[in-house]
Amino acid sequence: MTKTIIKLSLTLIAVLAVAAGAIVLYSRFTSRKSNIEVEKVRVNEVTAMVQLCTMDIYNEVPVLDTINSKVIFAVQKQRGSISFDIEHLDIDASGDTVRIVLPPEIVQLREATDDNSWQVIDTKYTGMLGHIRVPRISVNEENRVKAKLQRNSIRRLYADGTVAHARAEAVKNLEQMMEKLFRRPVQVVDPGPSAETH
Amino acid sequence: MAVAAALLGGCSGKEEPPQLYQELKAADKLVLASMSLTKTARLEDSQWYKIGKRIAVYSYDSYLEAFIDMSLLKPEDVVFDDATRTVRLTLPPVEVELAGRDMQMRKVYENIGVFRSDIDPKERAAVKEQANRSLKKELEADGGFRRQLEETARRKARKYFESLLESQGYTAVVDFRSDSQQDVKSSNLSMP
Repeated sequence: MTKTIIKLSLTLIAVLAVAAGAIVLYSRFTSRKSNIEVEKVRVNEVTAMVQLCTMDIYNEVPVLDTINSKVIFAVQKQRGSISFDIEHLDIDASGDTVRIVLPPEIVQLREATDDNSWQVIDTKYTGMLGHIRVPRISVNEENRVKAKLQRNSIRRLYADGTVAHARAEAVKNLEQMMEKLFRRPVQVVDPGPSAETH
Repeated sequence: MAVAAALLGGCSGKEEPPQLYQELKAADKLVLASMSLTKTARLEDSQWYKIGKRIAVYSYDSYLEAFIDMSLLKPEDVVFDDATRTVRLTLPPVEVELAGRDMQMRKVYENIGVFRSDIDPKERAAVKEQANRSLKKELEADGGFRRQLEETARRKARKYFESLLESQGYTAVVDFRSDSQQDVKSSNLSMP
């Protein structure tokens, strides 16, 4: 009787093991169709503006950050610009020379739309049993990492003189454009980069 | 090299890794209109041999911009007629380009079963990648987005230059050169 029970148990275990193995193999080797579905594009907003863009920026930056004991390493391609709102310029055209004050710069930095502009290379835990735990970085945590990255990248544009260079370009370009329209000498006054608050 | 250096440098999160590549390009563009485009994507991983659902819906915005390259404006494009107090201004053609996308993604919905693992950053990156490819295809196939943005840009340019010249006592007639490029440029910057 005991022998029969043991035999039955072993057979049952073997059958279950084979079934489990079959499921694992099936899930690994069957070609699964893509499980991502994308909706049609929707126009959110159309905005009219008059901005003079004097600098196009393209960056590729490695991202290494820790959030809630979880580490993420990724590479991001960034696309940006430095522009000036010239719709409501401060223009003094009363004298022989037209005087214009250069407005504050608008520094914009986004993720590029090139292929693989956000590549996550690895994630890991740094805490206890970090090497065996699977880190799950939530969308909110990932967004916080990206917001910090954006701030740091913009700060770098101020620190390495890119913003100052863009302002110098804006002075030159605005003078050239306005001289064609005013037919008089134009002097653009640059009060300097706006206080970098990022 | 920089990737390897960053990897070998440990993961303290304190040090900022160096940039892999940077390209700065001086420009002289007058940006006249911007269009934000929302893409929503759904990731679903529900199979018969797994217990519980695993569904997530995310969205983010990409941006199209319309601009004119002011470096192409020649002196002969601005013709003053002092007798009639009019100015004929012929502006360079309006161009449209993709000007990036939001870094962050919005979580629209998530339903992860108790026995299922959360969505990880690699999966979200794949979702964004697929949505981005879909966006580019749609923009190539449907010129309506580009035309709408070009028209908004032309209206804005006319209004701006008319107002600027009116302040000097001139009536402006604003035209655009017609050799506009027909394709949406995904990027006007060369890749490394």
